Amino acid sequence: MAFKYGILGLLAAQPLHAYSVKARFEDLLGGSWEVNIGQVSTTLQRLERDGLVEPAAARGERGRLPYRLTEAGQKALEAWLAEPESEPQQLREEIYLKLLLASRVANGDLTALLARQRRVYLQRLKDLAVLEQKARAQGRDDLVLLYKGAVLHTEADLKWVDVCAEEIKTGSDRR
Amino acid sequence: MTTLVELTEVSKRYDGVSGRAALDGVNLAIDSGEFTAIMGPSGSGKSTLLNLVAGVDRPTGGRVNVAGEELSRLNEARLARFRRARVGFVFQFFNLLANLTVLENVLLPAQLQGTRPAQARTRAAELLAQLGIADLAGTYPARLSGGQQQRVAIARALINQPLLLLADEPTGALDTHGGEQVMELIEGLHRDGQTVVLVTHDAKLAARHAGRVVTLIDGHVNDDTRLDGATPTPHNLVKVRIPEEQR
Repeated sequence: MAFKYGILGLLAAQPLHAYSVKARFEDLLGGSWEVNIGQVSTTLQRLERDGLVEPAAARGERGRLPYRLTEAGQKALEAWLAEPESEPQQLREEIYLKLLLASRVANGDLTALLARQRRVYLQRLKDLAVLEQKARAQGRDDLVLLYKGAVLHTEADLKWVDVCAEEIKTGSDRR
Repeated sequence: MTTLVELTEVSKRYDGVSGRAALDGVNLAIDSGEFTAIMGPSGSGKSTLLNLVAGVDRPTGGRVNVAGEELSRLNEARLARFRRARVGFVFQFFNLLANLTVLENVLLPAQLQGTRPAQARTRAAELLAQLGIADLAGTYPARLSGGQQQRVAIARALINQPLLLLADEPTGALDTHGGEQVMELIEGLHRDGQTVVLVTHDAKLAARHAGRVVTLIDGHVNDDTRLDGATPTPHNLVKVRIPEEQR
């Protein structure tokens, strides 16, 4: 879903062919979302079929076809931008599954598992700080917001690890 | 790298408090030039550890060795001399003297140390310039923002060119912007070779600025990890992407 609207958003600024869409999309996301050219072409074809984009000119150099937004495409983009995101919370990290299983498996050492996970989150916070600083130096304040979001999520993950460790300790103190 | 700080089986119990120790059998070595963050929940022993390293407090067991000095062997007078010469301490609430100007606050440890006044003034002027507060030299602390007061406190901590800069929640009383500026300054000092030990409960601060994070829980070292400061590849770190099946 989001990729389709990402393309509409790029075409709203100017007509682009598939290769430019790929390059600009990846740049927009600061390299945090890589797409392949086949995916871009297929999506553009689907958008054309649905009447949201149309060819802006004849095929140019190396048979590249520039697309532009139709009026319906502009409306669809505006409606999407106005809509808050309400997908279910994505807890896709394997650590949740590992924790659930480790607590059921005999001798599952949760404390060590949590300590190792904690290191990953601390390193992630450092890495995100580096990227945030780089984005700021490049004048990409919009990307800074993305990284700040990632930092907050990581802080929550770290806090969760600490809560788990605390719960496990309290549990064992009670026993 | 030479070891600057070494704690061996260090324990600390406070009088009158029965039950568990503030620190219990802590072993920790910090190299010269390292920037180490000490993390942990409140009551985990972070500040106790820092006070022992600073020679502000004495352990009830074990040995604290800083810059080749075994602190428990020093009497009070020599311990005070050690603190003045070797350690710079930055606190959460700045602890500036209200009836002294910025410059006088910064000069105070040098005077106690017996540094020649002209030499101390030169050093103070350098520090105030380095920390961006040269124009505040004649101002009294009450007229300064929190961030400015903390910079004065950092200048005061560095006036005697300590081997070790210790900071206990130095951004705890500052707003986000002021806190970030203070941390940038401390990180800059570290880049210039200063050994720094930072106590914080803020993981973001610890990970962002320190190269090593030691986590204390209930007076024990729960984890000790060095972080990699190399520039990461964005898509290995963040994926702005919703799962395939939902597209």
